[in-house]
Amino acid sequence: MYYYVYDEFVQDQKFERDLALIETRLTDLGISGKIARLALFRDATELIQDEVKKGASTVVAVGNDMTLRKVIDAVGDSGVAIAIVPLGSNDNKIASLLGVPRGVEACDVLSARIIEELDVGVVNGRRFLNELHSTNVVGVKINCDGQYDLSPMRKSVLEVRNLADADDEVPAAKPTDGKLEIVLRTPSKSWIKSKTGVTLVPVGHATISCDAPIQISIDGELFEGEEFHIEVIPNRLKVVTGRERKF
Amino acid sequence: MSKTNGQETVIAQGVRVEGDFKSQGDVIIEGEVAGNIQTAGDLRVGEQSKIKADVVANNAVVSGEIRGNMQVGGRLELTQSAQVIGDITVDTLSVAPGAQINGKITMDGRGVEMPKEESET
Repeated sequence: MYYYVYDEFVQDQKFERDLALIETRLTDLGISGKIARLALFRDATELIQDEVKKGASTVVAVGNDMTLRKVIDAVGDSGVAIAIVPLGSNDNKIASLLGVPRGVEACDVLSARIIEELDVGVVNGRRFLNELHSTNVVGVKINCDGQYDLSPMRKSVLEVRNLADADDEVPAAKPTDGKLEIVLRTPSKSWIKSKTGVTLVPVGHATISCDAPIQISIDGELFEGEEFHIEVIPNRLKVVTGRERKF
Repeated sequence: MSKTNGQETVIAQGVRVEGDFKSQGDVIIEGEVAGNIQTAGDLRVGEQSKIKADVVANNAVVSGEIRGNMQVGGRLELTQSAQVIGDITVDTLSVAPGAQINGKITMDGRGVEMPKEESET
């Protein structure tokens, strides 16, 4: 049984046509299901957990990365598969990494039902699928696997990646390897050469600590703190992916 | 360098590592390390790097400074900018003109014990 969770923003009039097309396509494919519409005072976790108890086999986030985050938190360790139907032009990074196209085309990916068991990152008890990101990090100590400390000596960009695309400096982070990747992008000391040194360390768990609070973005959501405990839970989340997935 | 099953670890310039660094994959160090380095893969130490640590590796190419004992199971290559202050145990050694070694060299790489992967409990 499919359970569709419509984020608040997709209930705007501008998505009316998209939703109508999606609902028609889902009916044609024989995978239509119950719909929950999120609203300001409607708790997504409670709604989703109730449906999981009633036997939902797949929870589908209809919206963006933030919608998927709500679904990930809600399904917890239930073993239920999750999926996304991305809508809107912003914040659909995770859908793109999972190989799910925007709008009505996502219905075919959903119907093909290629399920991958992905690792999940956990920061201070909160789960993330994509990455943790902080800019201008200095005076920070990163303890890796309880064995050694990494400290950037200059202002650096810090990333902890679980599912991430490759760029010019680092390869793609695979969410199936049972590891998180700590990436520190440290600019060169030289003013003449504008080169960035890239540190890349695979870890199972890590602790980021600093003297003053730093801001960290976790799958797009901002958090502030002086200590962040991070770990990976291997093969924990069943996710419907497309053939164009980037891992 | 040969590829191992473990993942590659890179420590860039401007980053310091303190503690016991263990890896099953290849390791590239351009920054600073204090403690111990053990890898079952290959180690590359860049020209600007400064290492105060005992080192165990399968194969190694050193262009920077190492203060500590080195144990290399296979081949150790010291380039012209390399400085090793410590004893070396190795199977095959290549030293470029200009490289500095201050320590005892033992040609017995087979006796070097590689780090084993710790099983998760």
